[in-house]
Amino acid sequence: MSLFGGSAPALDLALDFAQPWALLLLPLALLPLLRHRAEELTFSSLPWLPQDRVGRWVERVGRAAAVLAIASIVLALAEPGRPEWDVPRIGRGAEIVVLFDSSLSMDDEMVAKGQHPKRRRDSPLRKRNIAREALSRLVERRPADRYSLLMFGAAPFRVTPFSQSPEVIQAGIAAAGISNGLPGTDLGRGLVAAISQFDGRAYSGSRVILLVSDGAAEIDDTTRAIIRDGMARNRIALDWIYLRSVNWPRLDSEKEPEAVGLIKDVAMHRFFKTLPTTYKVFEAESPDGVNQAVAEIERQQNLPLEYLERVPRRDFTHVFYWLAIVACTVLLGHRALTVRSFAA
Amino acid sequence: MVAAATDFFYRLPMRAGGQRPGSHPGTSQGNGQEFITHATLFSRPDPRRLDVRASLRDVRGDWLVRVMRQRVGVPVWLVADVSASMVFGARRSKLEVLSDLARAIGASAFRVGDAAGMVAFDTSEREDLYVPASLSRGVGHVMAAQLADPALAAQADAGERHRGDPVDGLRDTLQRLAGKQGLVFLASDFHWPLARLDETLDALSRAYVVPVIIWDPAETEPPVTNGLVSLRDAESAARSAIWLRPKLRSEWREAVETRRATLKAFFSNRGLRPFWVHGTFDADAMSEYFFEANA
Repeated sequence: MSLFGGSAPALDLALDFAQPWALLLLPLALLPLLRHRAEELTFSSLPWLPQDRVGRWVERVGRAAAVLAIASIVLALAEPGRPEWDVPRIGRGAEIVVLFDSSLSMDDEMVAKGQHPKRRRDSPLRKRNIAREALSRLVERRPADRYSLLMFGAAPFRVTPFSQSPEVIQAGIAAAGISNGLPGTDLGRGLVAAISQFDGRAYSGSRVILLVSDGAAEIDDTTRAIIRDGMARNRIALDWIYLRSVNWPRLDSEKEPEAVGLIKDVAMHRFFKTLPTTYKVFEAESPDGVNQAVAEIERQQNLPLEYLERVPRRDFTHVFYWLAIVACTVLLGHRALTVRSFAA
Repeated sequence: MVAAATDFFYRLPMRAGGQRPGSHPGTSQGNGQEFITHATLFSRPDPRRLDVRASLRDVRGDWLVRVMRQRVGVPVWLVADVSASMVFGARRSKLEVLSDLARAIGASAFRVGDAAGMVAFDTSEREDLYVPASLSRGVGHVMAAQLADPALAAQADAGERHRGDPVDGLRDTLQRLAGKQGLVFLASDFHWPLARLDETLDALSRAYVVPVIIWDPAETEPPVTNGLVSLRDAESAARSAIWLRPKLRSEWREAVETRRATLKAFFSNRGLRPFWVHGTFDADAMSEYFFEANA
């Protein structure tokens, strides 16, 4: 668990005070226990009067309320809180950012070997549509996951924020098929945007960026450094569904790539392999290939994840102020019900 | 401010000795209206009292002289309880009421020619408040002023002298009056155990004792408003609290009645009839008391 900075879990009942000097005032809470003669009616002879259990209890309640009011105000001044502590948690389901390449090339049909790829609207064979269907099935089968959908062309834009609602996600996926492709493929900015989706979120399950792209993008060195840092900081795995053009060699082939597009893809692949976190590529060159890739993703990321969550300091000041309000209200009632004089 | 003295009528319902002529039935012979017997002129050579009719009827032919009893003046003592409980009072403290009584006693005693004086006690004798019996006209005001002194109330309220049994103080105080004849007003609220009071009162067996029981209306009648009453005992500084409600009110009144009955029974065992003062001293009621006692 070195990844989580291995500090021991704090004691459950630990309390700390932001302003501990205020506790010096705590003895003031004993003041109501010192009786003051002005608060009492002097009577000539108590043995005359009936003993009253109710009266003694009301008296004690009033005294206790006074003690409580002072004590809780003093404690509230000291600003008590539970110090930050680590909680072991078991996360189920993953947080998946689907980073959907929306560039023009995604409009190409995915055709069998030897056929010429065409760009036809609404063709079920378009890479974009094939990927959308596969994603939609993935979302259906893994309802425990949280999804966020980002598309990118020349610039990334968020379609849905993290959500567990299937309707929202399915609508987002459907929306990815509406327009024609966008010009440009700025994968670097897309990844940075996808990473920033995780910023400020509690780590509650494995995090995956599911990149659906046919490649053909370059990432400059500065952006690479930002991506590497971000992936490591947010502990995000990267899965790339590489919608390969037919006949192109595999990314891992040892031959140095020759085609211009392929050079870029291999360069991306090699960069991704240098990332500090898990990276997997699923190469698909047919609709079936895409489905297989998605099915494999589905099998992964399914294990419950045990992790320590660092919970920030919790301030209890308001609790004590409320307590003081309640005690003061009781005290006011007590005072209102007290007979102050024998003279009618 | 000196309030107008309200005086009351009183006569000693018993005979008292004493050489000072006054208005109470006496035991000594002398100038008076009360005939006892005849004596011969030789044994009592007072020709002014010569009874001619009785002398003529006398078989031995002696000159007979009437022997009369002289009415006497007796000292009137106020035995005043100035313990802390006497400071209590919703409108006027019981000490102020006691001061009224003292003034009335002074005025009444002066009117019939008796000497009046005061002894006071709390848990011990209060010699600082002692007023020797005096025929002076102002003695009532002196006693009243001493009792109405705010410093006395403040001191009693502070309670520094009052951690004891007032019966001890009473016993010490009554040593001054022990065995003397006279009229004694024993004024107190009698908020103390009666067990030892009986033997203490033996010191006054020759005097005529009027127990004046001074209670404040706030003691006998609970406050009208419902709610919490935090209480502190004036004498013992003990604390208590009661939640005033109709049930408590009736218990309160019952306790007062019980106490009243207890005191009545206690004093009637000694042949005494207590005089109750409720909030204000009523001089006419005191006159009534003596009319009844002499009847």
